[in-house]
Amino acid sequence: MRIRRFAAVAATVAVSALVLSGCAAPQSEIVEGSSLSVAWNQPFYSYNQNTSFGNATANANIIYSTNSGFGYYDNTPSWVKDTSFGTYEKISDDPLVVKYTIADGVKWSDGTAVDAADLLLNWVSLSGAENTPNFDSSEFTDPDTGEFTDSFPKDVVFFDSGADPTTGLGLVSKLPEISDDKKSITLTYDSPFVDWELAFTSAGLPAHVVAMHALGIDDPQKAKDALITAIKDNDKTSMAAISSFWNSGFNFTEMPSDTSLVVGDGPYTITDFVADQYVTLTANTNYTGANQPKVQEITVRFITDPLAAVQALQNGEVQVISPQATADVADALAALDVTVIGGYEGTYEHIDLQFDQSKSGNFNDPLVREAFMKVIPRQEIVDKLIKPLQADAEVRNSQVFLPGAEGYDDSVANNGSAAYKDVDIEGAKALLAQANNPNPEVCMLFSSTNPRRANEFLLIQQSAAQAGFNVTDCSSPSWGGLLGTPGAYDASLFGWQSTSLGVTNGPPPTYNSKGINNLNFYSNPEMDKLTDQLGKEFDPAKQIEIEKKIDKLLWDDFYGVTIFQFPAVTAFDQNAISGISPGPLSPTIFWNIWDWTPVTAG
Amino acid sequence: MATFVVRRLIASIFIFLAATYLMYILVSLSGDPLEDLRTSTAPNKLQLIEARTMLLHLDVPPYLRYFIWLGGIFGFTGKGFFDLGVTVQNQPVNILLAQAAGSTLQLVTIASLVAIVLGLVVGITTALRQYSGYDYGVTFLSFLFFSLPIFWVAVLLKQYIAIGFNDFLAHPQIVWWLVPLLAVIAGLIWMSIIPGKGLRRLATFGIAAAATAAVLIYMDMSNWFSYPHIGIVGIIITLVGAAFGVTAISTGLRNRKALYASLVVAGVGAALWYPFIYYTTGLPFWGWVGSLVALVGVALGIGWFMGGDDRRPVARTAALVGLVAGAVLSLDRFMQVWDDYAQSGRVKGRPIATIGSGTPGLEGSLWVHGIDLFTHLLLPTIALILISFATYTRYSRASLLEVMNQDYIRTARAKGLTERTVVVRHAFRNALIPIATIVAFDIGGIIGGAVITERVFGWTGMGALFQNGLDHVDPNPVMAFFLVTGSLAILFNLIADLVYAGLDPRIRVS
Repeated sequence: MRIRRFAAVAATVAVSALVLSGCAAPQSEIVEGSSLSVAWNQPFYSYNQNTSFGNATANANIIYSTNSGFGYYDNTPSWVKDTSFGTYEKISDDPLVVKYTIADGVKWSDGTAVDAADLLLNWVSLSGAENTPNFDSSEFTDPDTGEFTDSFPKDVVFFDSGADPTTGLGLVSKLPEISDDKKSITLTYDSPFVDWELAFTSAGLPAHVVAMHALGIDDPQKAKDALITAIKDNDKTSMAAISSFWNSGFNFTEMPSDTSLVVGDGPYTITDFVADQYVTLTANTNYTGANQPKVQEITVRFITDPLAAVQALQNGEVQVISPQATADVADALAALDVTVIGGYEGTYEHIDLQFDQSKSGNFNDPLVREAFMKVIPRQEIVDKLIKPLQADAEVRNSQVFLPGAEGYDDSVANNGSAAYKDVDIEGAKALLAQANNPNPEVCMLFSSTNPRRANEFLLIQQSAAQAGFNVTDCSSPSWGGLLGTPGAYDASLFGWQSTSLGVTNGPPPTYNSKGINNLNFYSNPEMDKLTDQLGKEFDPAKQIEIEKKIDKLLWDDFYGVTIFQFPAVTAFDQNAISGISPGPLSPTIFWNIWDWTPVTAG
Repeated sequence: MATFVVRRLIASIFIFLAATYLMYILVSLSGDPLEDLRTSTAPNKLQLIEARTMLLHLDVPPYLRYFIWLGGIFGFTGKGFFDLGVTVQNQPVNILLAQAAGSTLQLVTIASLVAIVLGLVVGITTALRQYSGYDYGVTFLSFLFFSLPIFWVAVLLKQYIAIGFNDFLAHPQIVWWLVPLLAVIAGLIWMSIIPGKGLRRLATFGIAAAATAAVLIYMDMSNWFSYPHIGIVGIIITLVGAAFGVTAISTGLRNRKALYASLVVAGVGAALWYPFIYYTTGLPFWGWVGSLVALVGVALGIGWFMGGDDRRPVARTAALVGLVAGAVLSLDRFMQVWDDYAQSGRVKGRPIATIGSGTPGLEGSLWVHGIDLFTHLLLPTIALILISFATYTRYSRASLLEVMNQDYIRTARAKGLTERTVVVRHAFRNALIPIATIVAFDIGGIIGGAVITERVFGWTGMGALFQNGLDHVDPNPVMAFFLVTGSLAILFNLIADLVYAGLDPRIRVS
């Protein structure tokens, strides 16, 4: 009897232990004691990536790993919502009203809850809504260091986030509403903004940490309340302190002694940071979201030299590298027993033709533009200059879509780029004859310090000469400043960097006749209509339809050509890690850091 | 003397000011600091451009912006004296400079010391064995090293000494044919160094080859590469050898008092082996330095008491042997933790590192950190040594040869002094004079000259400061680099002149 009772108890205990461990399993998938090292080519330098100077991939990688958001780009790239962090919904189109809600139980790594105070701070910093108007901070800036002088007025609010009142969160100038449970915030845009999903994506910096430091309050909850009150009342004295701390408090070059400065709400937290050497990320025990990490500790080591990164991978000092793609790196990696993934970056190389105000004026004639586009040896450039770095590189055939992104294949099939697939010398000659301009001069602007562009220039020069073009060298080390200068050049060769898929980053500023990135005096009323329409279209499917029309119109107008997407290379030791699948947009390899799994040797 | 120094310094300051102006303008005009923002498609790019322009005063032309920078140096910006401004990433350059200088000093100090000692020793021995096989061999090698580009040497070093050696450590068995090969090579080297003719040369070859083969076989049999050690036997052999060797050079073996004192010190060192190996786990860094100093002090005392009438040379000899004893004991102690270190979860059996200045997250005793520093310093140090080695060997060889042909050397020989006294007392000291100036220049230059070495070994120091600044067309960090290296060059030039005057009585500074 006694024995049976004991057995029953034992069985119960065993079963409940099993059940408990089964329950606990999804919370902790970490392989205990596992550690991995990743190489990155630039040291981390600021925990606030929203300042005008902190926006770099080196920071974004770390901040992305240590913080969650309402969504992120995957490797397609497409936007993935993370509902375990919070949700958002558009309440109305006009005026545009969006409600953001933090999920229950989401905490910062120090245990404080993530709530509306954080969202409110993120809004006030990114929108610049409470920045002192017409305040020229340079008058009170140390002429040497760029930091604020002692005479800086104490009641001036200045969040150095590069806020622009005509775009993004700058359009939300009214104080957002906070729900009673302090979990939600409702933003009301002054005018419709189609990329609203990308304008406000996370809780930003921990409000309690900012307020505790800026206002000298010890209790996190009281600090949050004080911050909300300060923002609501637009209390200039408090806001000045808060903005000042937001600007400068999170810039450090080594592990700060005050660890509250590295508080985050993501799968990992920073536990060590040795100047110029590495950042150690350790799984965040307070993280409750869906993206549970599998590796206990990830060290991001800073290795500038691409070949040094390859050898560090070979020597087992790092398990993942994503060095600058060079021919040497490609050769060295090919000889190793590692998995190499070719990919591409957000930047794409292209040639713009000056429609007006050019040096020679030749491109004012569409026939000459068409002829020049026919002789640009795009495939040859890719074959000779890009394929040695990345064997499967392809010519980019769209002015609007990123290869692989939704709409690219459809658009390429219809946009008319096929006419420029191969060099057509005879066709170009015929066009030039028709234009009555058999030997037009084309002065090309490009970076004289970039050897790859110099090589591209030579290939173009040789090919174009066969059709009668006299392509000359307008390169300069300060070519960037010359872009858009009237009368300085005829064509420009450079790369646009895409950091997001938002439509407001793409066609409207570049192809609209008034756009800030319209540097070639392109003006087509139909294009202006389309870009304006795109800037007001909320439906993603319809956005793509308009973008396809824009793409086709650009090729029909002989705008210029796209050549290639910058190649990227990622290599990892498949015997140590799995789950790496880099994406083209920042934070490239880190976007799925929670999927990285240590491979344990059998 | 004082007028000379003051005059030199004042002239240097003006030259330096002009140089900084030139440097600032060159860096500022080397490109476009806004290039990355201009090609950005961020909607707020105009605001970002404005912010950076404000941060770095890009609205002021470089010709005038220099004076804003100079104002910071003289403390006109209200941020104290010697304010170097901020980088394009809004980091204070002063903090970056301190970090960079620290890591560069760590990298180049050991490399410089080893290169100087090794270069002098090899240079002197080649001069004494002029036109021997050894001399030709060293000449060939030093010119070879001198002409190798460092980035290429670095890649080779990483491939063979780091990756290759780490692979070897996984199964540390020496290939059988390597033993006779290395034995023959070692025999040839020793045969060409040690003088003699006919049978004696053959004997030298045989002994050296046999000893090498024996050591290699012992290493292989005892799994030495996994568990390196010197052991009490090795310590005794080394210390007795050191006692004879140091005495031979320092005072000559005829000085029996010096020899006995050295042997006593060697005995003390051997007696300390057990406590030093087994009771020093928690020893702090300064405790280690302190015990080394104490050991040398004890040796000095032994020499002093045993010295009799002629105390100074005996005490000096004994102290040198004490230093060797401390070094060998420490080496054995470091070797003790080698296996623990190599097999730790952080190092994972691949101890020789190719990048960085330390294993991330490694925790352990002084000895573990010492090993860690060694494995990280090894490759960059070799790379740096290979380059400066050539200069030191060539200069010291030429200098000693010149001195050896002087009349006073013939006089010294004629009056019957031993060859040791002639070489060490009369020739060597005078041969050092020109070397001193080269060493002074080199120390000034090497701090700034390790740019490429730092980059390829991921050792972020002054070189990285310089290069990152140049990449971003950001003059402030480049100027910080230039200030340090430029003032060091001026300072060491001055020191070299003063040292020359101090060493060579024929030269007077006035």
